[in-house]
Amino acid sequence: MKELFPRKQLLGFVSSLILTIVALLVYFLDFSFTVGLTILLITAFTQAALQLVVFMHAGETKDRGAIYTNIYYGIIIALLTIFGSLLALAWGYV
Amino acid sequence: MNNDQTQPLEYSTEQNNLNILGFWIFIGAEIMLFATLFASYFLLENRTGGGPAGEEIFTISPVMLETFILLTSSFTIGLGVHAMRLGRQKAMQVFFTVTLLLGLAFIGLEIYEFTHYVHEGAALQTSGFTSILLTTLGTHGAHVTFGLFWGLFILIQIKKRGLTPETTNKSFIFSLYWHFLDVVWIFIFSFVYLKGMM
Repeated sequence: MKELFPRKQLLGFVSSLILTIVALLVYFLDFSFTVGLTILLITAFTQAALQLVVFMHAGETKDRGAIYTNIYYGIIIALLTIFGSLLALAWGYV
Repeated sequence: MNNDQTQPLEYSTEQNNLNILGFWIFIGAEIMLFATLFASYFLLENRTGGGPAGEEIFTISPVMLETFILLTSSFTIGLGVHAMRLGRQKAMQVFFTVTLLLGLAFIGLEIYEFTHYVHEGAALQTSGFTSILLTTLGTHGAHVTFGLFWGLFILIQIKKRGLTPETTNKSFIFSLYWHFLDVVWIFIFSFVYLKGMM
């Protein structure tokens, strides 16, 4: 039975629960908008990295280079799209 | 088919390796799909018109529950893949079944939430905010719903054919999809719900 619950996955799960609880503090405690958003950015991206490495086994085969390049590329384009849109259409810098 | 015994079964053929790599590239495209939805959401979240704003319709309990359910399902499917690599077919089927049941509970809660929003006067056509909110949540929910059927068919195949290079490859790819949906939900939970209620 014990071999079905490997340490790495248990630790990953516990960490993801802790990160979620930390994120929830933003709702239950009274932070300023900047502090709250900073906490959310940190917890969300850490959580995403955790899923990618622990649960999705992104780095376990010879294709790891291609896989990580592709994911980084996707994330860069995603961030450019989101912040580019905000910059041009919401924050009024253009 | 040159079987590589040093790798787990789902990586044992060249075709299997390419299937997995191909799915990662698909996930890259999915990241973009959700990025455009998030970009639109951030631009429209204050365009509430005559309709309600986020903080008026969001409630913390179902959102918290949905988050913990999805996180747990991501964990159980991880255990499922681990059991699969040990060759423990029965245990794997149990973990995958639990995952799908949790997915079903998530969808049930989301449907409840959607009816709640509509009762609060936040329908798809109420305002810019409500339409992008429901489109973003709905796109994620549609992915989970699709995943429920996909996972069910994989379970049936595993039951009929056992753990073969093909069925393990499909199961592993499905687990990638499921974890990815959990990641997307983390961002929805953080930057739609918690940010909206802060």
